Amino acid sequence: MGELIRLEHIVKSFDDTMVLNGIDLSVAENEFVTLLGPSGCGKTTTLRIIGGFEKPDEGRVWFDGKDITDLPANQRLLNTVFQNYALFPHMTVGENIAFGLRVKNKPEQYIKDKIKYALKLVNLDGFQNRQIDQMSGGQQQRIAMARAIVNEPRVLLLDEPLGALDLKLRQEMQYELVRLKKELGITFLYITHDQEEALTMSDKVVVMNEGYIQQQGTPEQIYDEPVNAFVADFIGDSNIIDGTMIAEKVVRIDGKDYPCIDGTEQGFPPRSRVDVVIRPEDIDIVPYGQGQWNGTIISKLFIGVHYEMLVQSEDGKVEWLLQNYDQHDVGEKIGMKVDPENIQIMQKPKSEAESAIELDL
Amino acid sequence: MVAKKRFATPFIIWIIAGTVIPLASIAYYGFTSREGGFTFANILAMFQHDHMQALGLSLLLAVISTVICLVMAFPMAMILRESKWGKQGFLIFVIILPMWMNFLLRTMAWQVLLERQGVINALITAVGLPRQELMNTPGAIVLGMVYDFLPFMILPIYNTVSKIDNHLIEAAYDLGASKTMTYARVIIPLTVPGIVSGVTMVFIPALTTFVISNMLGGGKINLIGNIIEQEFTVNSNWYLGSGLSLVMMVFIIASMLLLQKFDKTGGQNLI
Amino acid sequence: MKKTLGRIYVLLIMLFLYLPILTLIVLSFNDAKSMSVWTGFSLHWYAELFQSRLMMGAIVNTFSIAILAAIIATVVGTMAVIGMSAMKPRQENTLMAFNNIPMLNADIVTGIALMLFFLMVSWPRGYMSILFSHTTFCIPYVILSVRPRLNKNTDRLFEAALDLGASEKYAFRKIVIPELKPGIMTGFLLSFTMSVDDFIITYFTRGAGINTISTLIYSEVKIGIRPSLFALSTIIFVVALVVLITVNVHQSRADKALSAA
Repeated sequence: MGELIRLEHIVKSFDDTMVLNGIDLSVAENEFVTLLGPSGCGKTTTLRIIGGFEKPDEGRVWFDGKDITDLPANQRLLNTVFQNYALFPHMTVGENIAFGLRVKNKPEQYIKDKIKYALKLVNLDGFQNRQIDQMSGGQQQRIAMARAIVNEPRVLLLDEPLGALDLKLRQEMQYELVRLKKELGITFLYITHDQEEALTMSDKVVVMNEGYIQQQGTPEQIYDEPVNAFVADFIGDSNIIDGTMIAEKVVRIDGKDYPCIDGTEQGFPPRSRVDVVIRPEDIDIVPYGQGQWNGTIISKLFIGVHYEMLVQSEDGKVEWLLQNYDQHDVGEKIGMKVDPENIQIMQKPKSEAESAIELDL
Repeated sequence: MVAKKRFATPFIIWIIAGTVIPLASIAYYGFTSREGGFTFANILAMFQHDHMQALGLSLLLAVISTVICLVMAFPMAMILRESKWGKQGFLIFVIILPMWMNFLLRTMAWQVLLERQGVINALITAVGLPRQELMNTPGAIVLGMVYDFLPFMILPIYNTVSKIDNHLIEAAYDLGASKTMTYARVIIPLTVPGIVSGVTMVFIPALTTFVISNMLGGGKINLIGNIIEQEFTVNSNWYLGSGLSLVMMVFIIASMLLLQKFDKTGGQNLI
Repeated sequence: MKKTLGRIYVLLIMLFLYLPILTLIVLSFNDAKSMSVWTGFSLHWYAELFQSRLMMGAIVNTFSIAILAAIIATVVGTMAVIGMSAMKPRQENTLMAFNNIPMLNADIVTGIALMLFFLMVSWPRGYMSILFSHTTFCIPYVILSVRPRLNKNTDRLFEAALDLGASEKYAFRKIVIPELKPGIMTGFLLSFTMSVDDFIITYFTRGAGINTISTLIYSEVKIGIRPSLFALSTIIFVVALVVLITVNVHQSRADKALSAA
């Protein structure tokens, strides 16, 4: 797979607020890349810079080996599916889809065929003469897709396209999007704040926060080996605890020392302060006194397949989140055990705000 | 809600006394001869040469000033849309303020500027050019109309233009449209409701005015409004005046229906 | 480049809108009656304006009619909105169609129609006929400002108040009226300005011997422009400026307080 888009040290600020702090990103041909992060993390601005709606203050945008930083949006070989779909309300479904082809003066017969093909592709066969306001949210979403793809873009930029849909429709559309991507064989650059969406669809997930890329990798890498507490916290539920490396491959958590598998080689020499992440499903419940920690269950919630429990550690400093298939009662005293390979040692997050706090300590 | 229908009674009475009966009396006088019999003469009087000429000139001047207002207002509305918030408030303020000046005084201002002994002629003669006859021309009347009615065109257009979602314009660019094409196919079509109400708010008063033509036309240029006004105030021929008013009403209704055809929202933006 | 063009354009429009007004303001301080020669600073046109009993009478008429018409229109219009909400859609739509007539009709036709009405019922034309006419064209503005405020939500609030034990009267006073208040205020202010500004309808419905500012200006201009009218223009402009600035400052403060909360 060749490289199709490359961002080189993109910096962007609005009214003195830094939005992007030097983004470097590479998107390969035919890849499904998702920018994931909370609102205000800079993901939408990144997309708008690629789409040509914003100019970066610094840095270059490369597309297929050419510098397109100064190319206006209407000359870029990519199309956008906007967050609120941005369908033209004064045109029919068909006219919306035909828009990009008409401005390029394609022959009418070609346009007609294309509309038909695109509507079939998004399962809206025969809807071309409907008015936009007669269509439901899910249908509008499909029309926005169709309007973009008839232009045969090399890349489709999708800005939270499922954000306005309800849960069930959102899950259906996730499969649909993956199918569409396969059929079209083009690159998708997708934006969402929903970690589940990101993990299910993407080839590559790029986690962003406060204008920095925190981590990029396959969904498995992101979930299993988050590089810092922000990523771990954002992807799924986690226990994130302050820890200190007190010796080679030994970490002190909650006042006790434990062996772990990370050490100087991984960048965590003794005496360094770290974040420790333990996934709630990795904590086993054992009889009282037989685990690494002891604690009391302070709340319990049945959430479908398993129970979620909060356990107050005996030293009283940490509340642990546990997920377990067995039922235990509130008030029960239990022991907790974690295998060394499930204790993840991580750097404190990359962000000016948080590093500033750290200096204060 | 347990609202009582009878709350609307004063309003219904007011509609009957203030709108229905008065309009009916125009119709009555319009179809009645001075002697009291039924007649079409007052209606057909519109086809007299003088009246046709006045109506034709009224239509012409109203169309010209409406078009000029539209051409001047649209760029202004777009500039307003794109300017930053604080500045936007200031600019709207600047446009609204003259509307609070009595419109007779605003028209008088142009009289002061255009008159033979007026400001513009003083400037012209100061640089050694011959005095110009600026007043009492159709041009002066158009100028007065544009000056008086321009804010009524800018505000409704700005109102619709400011509500256009920026993403729609970006979507047009995204799909490869040039700037001209984005205007032609997205921005202007979406502005139609505002244009329709702006045109209505300029065209109807321009078509029916007798004040502007009296003040800037020096009584030498007769518009249909002047003719009707004179039938009531000078000639005291209410029958003929009512008949001509009825015909003018038909023109207004016809032009509004024509305009509404362009506006799919059905005149929601009229105010 | 594009910005510069935009600025030039805005500047030109502003010059077009304000140069005539500015001319009047400058000439109002001119000693001579001339419209083109400056002979020195003087305030005697202002003195003449304030000594004119006709003008003072017209000012009193204009504002008393505007306030009364706005009050009556606001009461009748607001009651109408509440009354119409109890009607079937067809009845309501019919009434709304009639309501729109004075707004869409040309002022000259409305004026003539009202004048004929007064003649037919032999209502003497004077202060009261002007007041009646102004109220007639103000009511539609009140209705169109108030009606959007009365919706399903108001219904629900009203029912909630009843559910909590309020009497209908109490719920109406404490819930419905406060909900409608912004619309009522807008309607009142719109009515007031429309009435102050009106010339054409007043022109046809007034009798001899009574004047508002507009009709007095018109008759004076017909005889010949006197610089005391320039003084009047200046005063109106300054008053409008002060009022609009006060309202705007007040509003932006309220907006700020709202966004801070």
